[in-house]
Amino acid sequence: MPRKSEPQLTNSVRELRTESAMTQQDLADQVGVTRQTIVALEGGAYTPSLTLALRIARTFGKRVEQVFQLDE
Amino acid sequence: MNAMEKVAWTELTVSLAALVVVACLYPWLGNGATGAFGLLGILGFSVIFLRRRGQTVIVDERDRDIAQRATMLGLHGAWMTLMMTLVILVLWNSYNDRDAVSISLLNWLIWIQFAICFAVKGLVAVTAYRRQQHAS
Repeated sequence: MPRKSEPQLTNSVRELRTESAMTQQDLADQVGVTRQTIVALEGGAYTPSLTLALRIARTFGKRVEQVFQLDE
Repeated sequence: MNAMEKVAWTELTVSLAALVVVACLYPWLGNGATGAFGLLGILGFSVIFLRRRGQTVIVDERDRDIAQRATMLGLHGAWMTLMMTLVILVLWNSYNDRDAVSISLLNWLIWIQFAICFAVKGLVAVTAYRRQQHAS
């Protein structure tokens, strides 16, 4: 039975952070993670937990689906 | 490089160094070379990387995910190696009509499992960090 491929999660964190004139370290401090996690997240190499996704969305004053999109 | 990545590198290098030193000392010291596994004690100092500096986050969910996966693979790797070695040992002894296993052999097995566990754990964590950095 063929396995269904994992859906790809994309995000607009880099764009929203740049618009908000925040550094990666600023965002990391606000959401309580390391700067390296923000780097991995912006590059699409890391899928955040729901809690972290909600924290990031709240930081930018957006809904979570406006920040993270599922490409199926 | 964040704190947990430094810990992973320490685990990998110290465990591999311990295995190399033991292998180098074995021709001269024989079973006494297992004393060099004491080098694994250096791993206790890796907590230095985890000390807090102000309000900066040291360990986050990504680090915990990677550490969990690395620990699981490290333990499984060491456990599988131990089991396979014991099976081979029992079969070999049975084939040669021996009833006992030497204490020094068990001593070697236990130390090697520790070294393998930390080496695999370190390698898995370092690889995960490298892969995420290259992908981003």
